[in-house]
Amino acid sequence: MKAFRLHNPRTIEEALQLLEPERVSSLKTAVLAGGMDLVTELKEYLAQPDDIVNLKGIEGLSGIEAEPGGGVRIGALCTLARLEEHPVLQRTHAVLTQAAASVASVQIRSQATLGGNLNQRPRCWYYRNEESVCLKKGGTECFSYGGLNKYNAILGGGPSYIVHPSDLAPALLALDASVELVSRKGMRTVKIEKYFTLPSEGDVLRETALEPGEILRSVVIPPQKVWMRSTWLKFKEKSSFDWALSAVALCAVTDGKTIREARVALGGVAPVPWRAKAAEAALANAPMERKSFEAAAEAALRGAEPLSQNAYKIPLTKGLLIRALESLAG
Amino acid sequence: MSTQDKPKKKKVKVTRNENGHPVEVEIEVDDVDGPSWGPRAGHTLVNHDVPRVDGPVKVSGRAPYPHDIRLPGMLHARVLCARIPAGSVRLDLESARKTPGVEVVLDLEVKEIRWLGQPVAAVAATTPEKAADGLRALAAQFQAAGFAVTPEQALAPNAPQVTRRGNKGKESENGDAEAVKAALAAAAGTARAEYSLPVQHHASLETHGVVVDYSGGDEARIYASTQSTFGISEDAAEPLGLKASQIETISEYMGGGFGAKFGLGIEGLIACRLAKLAKRPVHLLLTRKDEFLAAGNRSGSRVVMEGGIAADGKLTALRAEIERHGGIGGGSHARQPYVYSVEKVHTKSYPVHTNTDGSRAMRAPGHPQASFAIESLIDELCYAANLDLLEVRKKNLANPTYARQLERVAREIGWYEHPHRTQPGRMDQRECIGIGFGVSTWGGGGGESCEVDVRIERDGSVTSSVGTQDLGTGTRTYVASIVAEEFGLGMDGVTARIGSSRLGNANASGGSTTVASLAPAVKNAAWKARMKFAEHLAPLLGTQKELLRFEKGELVDQQSGKRIPFAKACAMLPNEGLQARGTWVADLAGNGIQGAQAAKVRVDPLTGRVEVLKMVCVQNCGLPINRLTLRSQIFGGMVQALSYALLEERIMEPSLGLQINPNFEDYKLAGSLEIGEIVAIIDDEDTREQAIGVSEATIVPGHSAIANAVANACGARVRHLPLTPDKVLAALGKV
Repeated sequence: MKAFRLHNPRTIEEALQLLEPERVSSLKTAVLAGGMDLVTELKEYLAQPDDIVNLKGIEGLSGIEAEPGGGVRIGALCTLARLEEHPVLQRTHAVLTQAAASVASVQIRSQATLGGNLNQRPRCWYYRNEESVCLKKGGTECFSYGGLNKYNAILGGGPSYIVHPSDLAPALLALDASVELVSRKGMRTVKIEKYFTLPSEGDVLRETALEPGEILRSVVIPPQKVWMRSTWLKFKEKSSFDWALSAVALCAVTDGKTIREARVALGGVAPVPWRAKAAEAALANAPMERKSFEAAAEAALRGAEPLSQNAYKIPLTKGLLIRALESLAG
Repeated sequence: MSTQDKPKKKKVKVTRNENGHPVEVEIEVDDVDGPSWGPRAGHTLVNHDVPRVDGPVKVSGRAPYPHDIRLPGMLHARVLCARIPAGSVRLDLESARKTPGVEVVLDLEVKEIRWLGQPVAAVAATTPEKAADGLRALAAQFQAAGFAVTPEQALAPNAPQVTRRGNKGKESENGDAEAVKAALAAAAGTARAEYSLPVQHHASLETHGVVVDYSGGDEARIYASTQSTFGISEDAAEPLGLKASQIETISEYMGGGFGAKFGLGIEGLIACRLAKLAKRPVHLLLTRKDEFLAAGNRSGSRVVMEGGIAADGKLTALRAEIERHGGIGGGSHARQPYVYSVEKVHTKSYPVHTNTDGSRAMRAPGHPQASFAIESLIDELCYAANLDLLEVRKKNLANPTYARQLERVAREIGWYEHPHRTQPGRMDQRECIGIGFGVSTWGGGGGESCEVDVRIERDGSVTSSVGTQDLGTGTRTYVASIVAEEFGLGMDGVTARIGSSRLGNANASGGSTTVASLAPAVKNAAWKARMKFAEHLAPLLGTQKELLRFEKGELVDQQSGKRIPFAKACAMLPNEGLQARGTWVADLAGNGIQGAQAAKVRVDPLTGRVEVLKMVCVQNCGLPINRLTLRSQIFGGMVQALSYALLEERIMEPSLGLQINPNFEDYKLAGSLEIGEIVAIIDDEDTREQAIGVSEATIVPGHSAIANAVANACGARVRHLPLTPDKVLAALGKV
C-alpha cells in the first residue's frame, strides 16, 4: 500500500476539520473506522489516499440506545459483534441482529462497524481486481455486463451492475431506518431508502448520498408496530464466510392467520438494498399460506432483468422469500 | 497377502534356573533375522492413535515455517508476474533501483510472455512494503498479444497459437472404436454426456518460496517450503555459485504442498540470484495472488463419454474423448474406465493448451478427473436401465476388496433404507435426500532412498534422525514412534530430528511414497540399534543377546527375569553411546490400496442449496503406522474433495485475459460450515504387514459421490463442477 498520514481526532468536530470536501472527493483523504474495507482497498492499491482520518478514537459513537417512544439509535462505530449479541435487539429487531451475525467471520465482525458496513465499496471482482479499469474506477465500461456476471445485479442495474454488499442495509431498510450525517454545515437525516443511490441516478463512482466531508454518525430506527416480527435470510455460496448471492430482510405484522402489513428488502440482487414494494402490496392482508408467499415472491422479482449468467438469482430469491415467510408463519 | 504374513519369530533353547534347578526350555525370541512389523496385536505405538509430536508447537504458532524466518540484514523480495497472458514487457529498471529501500532489481530477460503470471522480474528491498513499491516503480509496460485463456478460446478457429506444437496437443488413442460401436448398439441401456471439471488450486496455506541465508562466502542455508528437502541444494548451487555440498536445505516445518512443491522452482531460483547479487539473506515467498497465477494447479478436464450397460448390470461399452486443460502444460487424466471393468473400451486423450500456468502434480493427479466422469456415467446408465447403483458398481469392479468396502460404506450411509436406489428422487418431495458412491485406487509404494540414524546416549536419550520433510501428514511423529516402540519406550523417550539435508537422505514426498519408503528404514534403524544394544549388553549381563527384550521402559533378560530400567541399561553402553543406520527393507513396504466412499446430501429445490450431510470412507492401507494421523489424512482428502465438489474453481476472464478470482475471497474453499459429518473407517480387513501411503486415494472419489448424491436426491444432474446454486437450479429446470 502507498504510504499515508494517519490522523487520530478525539472529537467529531476535529474529524470534520480534517475532512476537506475537495480532498475527500478526489480520494486524497479517506475515513477509517474498523478498516475491514479500507485496509483491503489500500492493500490492493484501489485506494491510495495521502491522509487517513481514523474515527475510532472518537467517544460516544458506538452506543446502542433506546429512543423515547420506542425507537433505537445506534452509533456508527458500533461493531457488528456488539450488534449481533445485543440481547434486546435479538428479540425486538431480529432482522438486524441476524443480518449482523451473517457477515463474514467472527474476527471481522469484532472489528467491523455499522457505519463501515453501510459505506463499504463494491465487491464486484472487476472492481476489486487492480488490472481491470472498470466503470466504478473511472473506466468506460462495466465489464460484468458482457462478462462474468454470476454475482451481479438482476434489479436496478445499469450502467453499473454491482450489487451492494452490505447485509445491514437491507435489514435497516426493512426497518425503515434513517442515517444521521454530520458535516461542518450541520446535521441532516436521510432515510436508508434514499441514502443508497442507483448508478443510473447519480455519480456512478459512489454508492451513497454521503457528501464529501460528511460523516455518518448514527443510525436511527423508528418505533415498530407492537406485533412486528422480523427475520433475515441470506444465501451464501460458501456458508462459512461469504457475501450474499441473495438475501431477504422481512418485517411483518401478523395476527397469526393474516399478514396485516409487511416490509420486504432484498440484498445481493441490486446496486442498492432493494425494497420489494410489489411484494409488500401482495402480502398486505394476505392469508399466511404458501399461495400468498408464492404470489409475493413472483411480485418481488417482477421486472428483474438478469444478465447472461445470473438468471438463477430469480428462482433463488423467490425461494428465499418463500422460506423467510414460512419461517415467520412457522 | 498370506506370503507377507510369515512371522519372523524364531524359537531358541535356553537353560533357565527354575527353583534352583537348571531347566532347558524353548522360548520364542524376537525377529533376530531382520526387522518385521510383527503381529498387529503386539504393537504399543504403531497401529495406535499417536498425537503428532509437533502438534503443540504448530497450534501455538511457535513452529517456525519458512515464512516466519527473519535473519539479520535480510531482504524481502517480490516477483513481478506477467499481468497479461501473452506478449512482451518493457521494464523501467532505473526507477525501481531508485525506490527507497530497494537493494537489488533483477530482470529475468523474458523475451516473450507465454502465460499469465509468468515471472518477468524481481525486486529485493529492506521491507516487504518497499519491495512492493519497487515492483510498482518497475512500471512494467505490458504489450499484449493475442491470447487464449480458456479452452474454448484455444479451440476457436484462428485462435492465437499458444505453444509451438499448436493448441491441441498430441492425441493418444486406446481400444477398438468399432467394437465399442457394436457393443453400444447391443446394450440394454446407454447414456452419453459431457462432463467437465474446472482447474483446481492446491491452495496450500503457505505459499511457495524460500529464505536464502547467504551473505557471500562459501556456505549457504536455504529454508524451504518444500516436499523435497533433498531436491533444493543441487538446484541452488549454480545460481549461488556454490557446490551443492556447501548448501544446507532446511525444511523443519512447511505449510502444505499437495504436489506443487518439488525442487527449487523459479521463485527459489530468483531468491538465490537476488541473494547472490546482494550478498544478503533474501526472503521470497510468493504473494497469494502470485501463488494462484504461477505456482501450479490441478488440470481441468472436459470429457465426452458414452457407455452401454447390459440388463444384468454388466458394463459392456465405453467411449471416451478426453480433453486435458493443463494451461501451457499437458494436464493429467487417469485412463478410463478408471478402476472399473468394461468389456469394450475406446478412448482418446489430448491436451488443449491455454496461455495460463502449467498444471502440476496435485494429490492423485488425474484420478479425481477420471473418477468424476466414470462415476457420473455409471449412475446415468443405472437410471437408464433401472438398476441399483451399488450393485452395478460391485458387479463391475474386478478387485473383490471394493465390493466389501462398498457394502460397508453403504451400511454406514443408510443405503439399504434409502428409497432411491434405482431411480433418482423427484424435486417435489418434501425433503430431497440423495446418496452417491465412488471408489479409488492408488499405489502408495516406496523404494530405496532413506537413511535413518538412531542414536542412543548413555544418559538414556534416544534420537531418530533423517532429513525428510513433514508435509503435515505426521512423518515426524512416526520417525520417533517406530523407534520408541522398538525399545519399549513411550513417545517422550525418543526425539525425532528431520528437515535438513545434512541428515540422512530421504525421498521427495510425492505420490504418497513417503511412508512406504521411510517407515521401513526407520524400523530397520531401530531394529539394528536394538540388536547392537543387546549384543553389547548380553555379555555384561551374562546372558544371550537373543534373550534381551525391551518393554515398558525396561530391559528384560528373559533368562533370569531380571529387569533393568532403560536409562540404567544405557549407562552400560560405551562412552560414545550407540548408533545404527537403517535403510529400506522391501518386505516392510507394500503397494496398492483401495477405498470406497459414499456421500449423503440434502438439496433445497427452491434455492438450489446443497448440504453435505454425511460422508463415509472405508480405506485400506496395509499396516496403519499411526491410526490418528491416518484418519486425519482421510478427513483431509475428503474435505478437499467436498470443497472441489461445492466451491472450488479457477475462473478466467476471457476478454481481459485475467484470472478474476486469485484470492481466498473469490476462489472459495470449504470452511467449517460446509463440512457435515465425516466418518473415516480404516479397513482393518487388510492384514498386510506393510507400510503403504494413503494420502492420494482419499481425495479421489468424494466430489463424484457428492455430485451423484445431488442427482440422486432430486434428479439435478450437474455435469460441470462445482455444484453452485446456479448450476443446481439450472439442472432442476428453474433457470
